[in-house]
Amino acid sequence: MIVALGLVVAACGGGGPSASASGTGAVPTDVASEEPFESSGTFEPMAWPEEPMDCSFEGDDTHAAYNGEFAQIRAVDESTVEFELCYADVSFLQKIAFSSFNIHDTASLENDMENHRILARPNGTGPFMITEWSRGDHITMVRNPNYWGEAPAFESLEFRWSVDSAQRFVELQAGTVDGIDNPGPDDFAAIEGDSNLTLYEREGLNTFYVGFNNNPKIEGFDNSTNPFANEDVRRAVAMGIDRQQIVDNFYPEGSEVASHFVPCAIEFACTGDEWYEFDPEAARQLLADAGFPDGFSTTIHLRDVVRGYLPNPTQVATELQTQLRENLNIEAAIDVQESGTFIDNSDGGLLDGIHLLGWGADYPDNTNFLDYHFGGGASDQFGDKFDDIVEALRVGATSPEDADREAAYVEANNAIREHVPMVPIAHGGSATVFQADVENAHASPLSNEQFAVMVPGDRDQLVWMQNAEPIGLYCADESDGESLRACEQMNESLYAYEVGGTAAEPALATECTTNDEGTLWTCSLREGVTFHNGAPFDANDVVLSYAVQWDVEHPLHIGRDGSFTYFSALFGGFLNSPAE
Amino acid sequence: MSGQVPALDVKTVDPTLVAGHRSSLWRDTLRGILRQRSAQAGVVILGFLLLIAVFANVVAPFGSEQDLRYPPISEQVNRLAPPCIHLLGCDTSLPQHAFGVDGNFFDVFSRVVYGARISLFVGFVTVGFAIVIGTLIGAVAGYAGGWVDNLFMRLMDVVLSFPSLILAIAIVTVIGSGLIQAQLAIGIVAIPIYARLMRASVLSIKERDFVVASRALGESDRGILFRRILPNALTPLIVQGTLGIGGAVLEVAALSFLGLGAQPPTAEWGSMIGLNRNFIFNAPHLIIFPGIALSLTVLGFNLLGDGIRDALDPRLNR
Repeated sequence: MIVALGLVVAACGGGGPSASASGTGAVPTDVASEEPFESSGTFEPMAWPEEPMDCSFEGDDTHAAYNGEFAQIRAVDESTVEFELCYADVSFLQKIAFSSFNIHDTASLENDMENHRILARPNGTGPFMITEWSRGDHITMVRNPNYWGEAPAFESLEFRWSVDSAQRFVELQAGTVDGIDNPGPDDFAAIEGDSNLTLYEREGLNTFYVGFNNNPKIEGFDNSTNPFANEDVRRAVAMGIDRQQIVDNFYPEGSEVASHFVPCAIEFACTGDEWYEFDPEAARQLLADAGFPDGFSTTIHLRDVVRGYLPNPTQVATELQTQLRENLNIEAAIDVQESGTFIDNSDGGLLDGIHLLGWGADYPDNTNFLDYHFGGGASDQFGDKFDDIVEALRVGATSPEDADREAAYVEANNAIREHVPMVPIAHGGSATVFQADVENAHASPLSNEQFAVMVPGDRDQLVWMQNAEPIGLYCADESDGESLRACEQMNESLYAYEVGGTAAEPALATECTTNDEGTLWTCSLREGVTFHNGAPFDANDVVLSYAVQWDVEHPLHIGRDGSFTYFSALFGGFLNSPAE
Repeated sequence: MSGQVPALDVKTVDPTLVAGHRSSLWRDTLRGILRQRSAQAGVVILGFLLLIAVFANVVAPFGSEQDLRYPPISEQVNRLAPPCIHLLGCDTSLPQHAFGVDGNFFDVFSRVVYGARISLFVGFVTVGFAIVIGTLIGAVAGYAGGWVDNLFMRLMDVVLSFPSLILAIAIVTVIGSGLIQAQLAIGIVAIPIYARLMRASVLSIKERDFVVASRALGESDRGILFRRILPNALTPLIVQGTLGIGGAVLEVAALSFLGLGAQPPTAEWGSMIGLNRNFIFNAPHLIIFPGIALSLTVLGFNLLGDGIRDALDPRLNR
């Protein structure tokens, strides 16, 4: 039976929620070669919902109270979209520039969502079009001949991946790839000594943290046995971890111990009190006072995937295991999970004990870090939410005055320090490395390198090797950096981040303007833009792309696993969420 | 694999006729094995490893998961420090670590030594499990024949039709990661080899005169199978089992390398190689020493297995 079950699971691609809808092997993904698009010739402006949402809706028998940011999204005409908001959002443009809010073709959403084809064959407007996704091996994209902007200088772009920094480095040295992400921290010196290679250091706009779940949503889990339901236990762990040791031993130059959850380069990030100092004596006392004088046993969950915020996952887990044992008498087993499974378990609140995760900036604002993790629309990663943190973050995200924002983030950071839903460990420095002849190569502080602007010498193809395979290419429902980077080559949002920088600049919209209250944004769309299959881009595509994420009851609210965590986290919550 | 092991007709004798000579038969067999060069080499290697495994806590200067920075060691040690043996000229101001120090401040020599204990245990348990289950299936299938034989053997054919490591990965995916789970997976995958071997032996032996005589004397089927046939069918299993232990050690190490077997920081050689694979260029000693230990173990079992086969195969004996 086990054998038979194993075969079934293997055939299903591992059985986890990350299993691809398109199975294994090469996936037919060439959207450009499909039947040419035929326009119906008429445009009927769409609005979602038909009437603006009542922003003060407090819930009823079937629906939960509405806390979301949007009241309505509507097409005014073919090239104008309005976003009516319940409250002002000072980061609105930076948010809509993010790749989870890429605009998709209406027909593709309608035809490819339910059967999950959209996960492997995005039909975007970007400079590259997908032609093949050979699962476990590579993704190939070709230049979009109808791209509205400056077309790439080379014919095709190939994404490859390896979890091993040593393998990525060897491939780069052998010349089989043109660029790699995250060289091993111990390889920096060798790279800088190689004249054929160029190292591009990436600013540490990321955070590695040790997370706790105060109320895991594991079926049958008895939370009264969960030591991390106790705030003092979490605080004891915060004080019992020597974070400087971790940074000194496992991070490259340019990394630093986190004083706050958000890197200090971001405005208002490092307001409020600094994180706890390492004090094992006090930590042990706190643990004893919390009822655990002899420590306890737990599990450290992680994925063995290298990220800028965590360059040595298993070794850091082992170090943490040692520190917990030596400093706090906590015995921790290590549980390494497959990347997609780990992310899904984390988002679903299914990880008990301790989990190791991190965050790289998608846009340089507190809301990107704090709201995603601790805001009202955050996932169940840390268990039950903390009302004071949620409220402070709401004020911080909606106050137009800097002084008010700063005060709110002081409050939020201090509340995070008090409740300790996680322990921020480090802001990790990282890098990309390219062959020396690749022009315009760069390392984006947001980890969204734009390959379309690069020129790989006299070669027709640029091969990029990153840490892991994308989980899916419909990035509205992905939070994994490896997926997002791939999406960004093929899809575009209304705004985009400048190449190699963090400023939001117009992309599919030529401009977005707001009213005095900051509650109505009007975006003028770029004309003459077409999707990869030839379909013209219009305002209804924008409305539907947002609506399928926003509205839980939308028939296309499906995605990969349906969590749409970015939308919920950044825009406050979903429309029509079911009552608890 | 099973097809490569010859039927050992000459050694299969009626135990009722030679009961008094059984001890000398085994002694002769052992002598024959030890006459083989490859077996001698295998015995030396495995004896050495066995001693290290048994006396690991004496041989290893530190614990397998002893962080050198913490009491009772509290050593000022460099992370990823290369091997240092004072007798071989290493600076005496540096702490002595024969195989160096790994990325988590563990002494690599101590971990390799403790790894012998884990790997040998894993090998014997995995193959032992496969032999016990495989023998029962093969013996029942071969003796009963008919639909029972068909059912069991087709099931074994299904298992054999998949690459063993892939199938083991699929099983671990279902039952979860861990050293015990990895042993179980490798054990399950190996069952058909022993089942087919045992079935072939039983089919051959059950038609022998002494079995027919036992049946004529009214002995039960169970008695005939377990008292008459099985003792005479064990020899090929011993050969195959010896060769199989090396393979099992290697396959469990492979699962651990992939993160599906022993979980870090367990001092299992495959896990150690996997954990330190990114240091292959700047601290190769972290890969080389567990790699050598793994190779040596597999080599030892293969040499011994070859020696046993050569000693017991009548066609190679003269």
